[in-house]
Amino acid sequence: MSGPLPPGWTQHTAPTGHAYYYNAETKHSTYTRPTLQPPPPPIAALTQPLHYNPEQNVISPEFLAATTHHAINYGGHVPSAYQSGYPHQHIQEPRDLRGRGGFRSGRDGFDRRRQLEDRPKSKHTLPGCEPWVLVKTKLGRRFVHNTETNESLWRFPDNVRHGVTEFDRLEREREVGKEGTGANDVPLGTKRQKTEEEMQREDEEALAAELAQEAEKAGEAAEGDMVTVAPRPSFAPAPAVNRGQEAGDSSSEYEEIEVTDDEGEEDGADPKSAEATDNPPAAETGPVEFNEDDIAYQLAAMGADYGLDPGEYDDGNGAEGWEDGAEGLPLTEEDSTALFRDLLDDYGVDPYTLFDRVVEDGQIIEDERYTTLETMRARREVYDAWAKDKMAVLKAQREKQMKLDPRIPYLAFLEQHATPKLYWPEFRRKFKREPEMKSTAVSDKDREKLYREHITRLKLPPSTLKSDLSTLLKSIPLALLNHSTPLAALPPQMLTDIRYISLPPATRDPLIVAYISTLAPPPADGSALSAEEEAAQAKEHVERLKRDQALEERKNRVEEEKRKQERERAHGRGRLREEEREIRKAMVVGKGGLRSYLQEAVADDVSEREERETVVLEPV
Amino acid sequence: MPAIRSAKTRKPPPDGFDDIEDTLLEFSNKMKDAENASHEGRKKHEMQWPIFQITHQRSRYIYELYYEKEAITKRLYDWLLKNGYADANLIAKWKKQGYEKTKETNFNSTCVCRVPRKQLKEDQEIECVSCGCRGCCSSD
Repeated sequence: MSGPLPPGWTQHTAPTGHAYYYNAETKHSTYTRPTLQPPPPPIAALTQPLHYNPEQNVISPEFLAATTHHAINYGGHVPSAYQSGYPHQHIQEPRDLRGRGGFRSGRDGFDRRRQLEDRPKSKHTLPGCEPWVLVKTKLGRRFVHNTETNESLWRFPDNVRHGVTEFDRLEREREVGKEGTGANDVPLGTKRQKTEEEMQREDEEALAAELAQEAEKAGEAAEGDMVTVAPRPSFAPAPAVNRGQEAGDSSSEYEEIEVTDDEGEEDGADPKSAEATDNPPAAETGPVEFNEDDIAYQLAAMGADYGLDPGEYDDGNGAEGWEDGAEGLPLTEEDSTALFRDLLDDYGVDPYTLFDRVVEDGQIIEDERYTTLETMRARREVYDAWAKDKMAVLKAQREKQMKLDPRIPYLAFLEQHATPKLYWPEFRRKFKREPEMKSTAVSDKDREKLYREHITRLKLPPSTLKSDLSTLLKSIPLALLNHSTPLAALPPQMLTDIRYISLPPATRDPLIVAYISTLAPPPADGSALSAEEEAAQAKEHVERLKRDQALEERKNRVEEEKRKQERERAHGRGRLREEEREIRKAMVVGKGGLRSYLQEAVADDVSEREERETVVLEPV
Repeated sequence: MPAIRSAKTRKPPPDGFDDIEDTLLEFSNKMKDAENASHEGRKKHEMQWPIFQITHQRSRYIYELYYEKEAITKRLYDWLLKNGYADANLIAKWKKQGYEKTKETNFNSTCVCRVPRKQLKEDQEIECVSCGCRGCCSSD
């Protein structure tokens, strides 16, 4: 806090007590004290919308408190400039427009907005973007923070975004316990973002129309009270922007959350802010003309003060103007069925179990997707259909798969445990609990035969065993064993042969590797089928992501509805408290009040008596 | 003298038995519990009800696996019937029209679960002697 300000900059104090600086020429306001260096280029300003006091820890609560009101506006109440940290101090609050419902007029300090403050909750490292960490907040929002430069951004920079997508993918995989679904994530992210933006724009337009109408209606009333505004930082946070954002902020992870802070937003890179700042560029410090937008904005802010939603105050166009709430579920029947099937797939439910059993286990009940179908009967039907399909798929898979010889695990077991010191009955007794010894696939007679053979071969000299192994290797055709065969995927013909396990792996494996390296590459095969399959898989993946998105949207709507109800309840409670206080005030009669009341009564009495006396006296 | 078949010498069950083995094991555990349940304070025929229920469920499970979901082979199905995992007579009933979901093979008569709800009187409390069904009108 030293050094003179560069020319053109002035210092002001925000209602929250923060000092901020305003440049009347560039209409740029910032919390950081500008020095004599040239101001940051607009691109930097765009990518650093929250360049807020970089000396201190950026994710401190004050930081969030200061940004929350701008960034997200829960449940559609509008960030009123005078109450959040927005440097907009010259507006007079139109107090006389408040009715008696204005319960948060500041007397009791009951501030609903306090409850909505956000706090950082958890920190995650981003793989591949080292100094950056992803911070999640209490309200489920996310931002990235650079631990080296102490920079925090709601909008993920491009180089960090893929780190975030990667992180999300990992997280999802961890949740699902499934691998290899991340291939299409990045295109999806951008696609989502696009749709999100479209949604926002629609919302915004509808809201703008509504507000304009409202402004016409209440314009005269408001205009009388509002004094013209002195230096006005360069944007008007149109409520529509915040509403759209609120609808989207938790649904899409990659969406660029626009933080309508008061710096760096003027370069019009965003269609929203461009639309919002359509008021003409005013003269330096002179009074700004009050246009319709402003009035609409003021009205919305007033509405927020009353604790009203844009839809709550009575305007001409009713409900269709603003966002349709959670009344209509966006999921179609098909979607919910498919979601339920996804759920069953994800939890790896065994299709051969009974549905009751699956429900009893209770894993799937916890999942969000379980509720997409409403009745148990519907769930059961879907489960049956799913089980049927799944069984068919499993059957096909099994047929396609080369049938694993049951002797392979048994031979591997022998290789580990068989010694010439044990006779077959002893060996069998010792390992009778092992699954290889219990399985019904290999008969006991065969097991015994293999064991005896193996033991006799173990007693042979190693040179014989080696030559046997080489004859075995040579007997296998090139299609099965070739240059590109890994050691872990040897053909079953080899694995079922007793000659393969006779040598210990330490001497055997180098021999096999050496032999394989001398072989020719595999004969060419067509892989057209796999390409087709891949396409089908990709398609399925896309469809599935779409459904997940729909579910997410539904969840958001429900949450929003909940929040709205909560707010209404809080509002009602506040109002009730107010009324109670008024009643109490009316009931309480202070000492002085009582005395004065009594005095009045006495005075009345006296005067009456006097009157009477005079009346009495008169005839005398 | 016939050969004594022990667990050691038994023939392996047909393919696909591994898949359904767990569920069948659960059924057999339930059946054991039902068999060993205390009989005190209960009528003699009431004791049979859970046993009928479990038999029905298990037969239904196998029936659906074979006829509706087509998940098990003919060979495995026959093997299951032969080894008493499902009641062949009950399954034979289900193939008849009007008996699609009947609970039991009611010897010489009809189970109450086949009586339509309309034909029952308003406050008529009926429990099938064999299976305890109160009239589920399963094929209505």
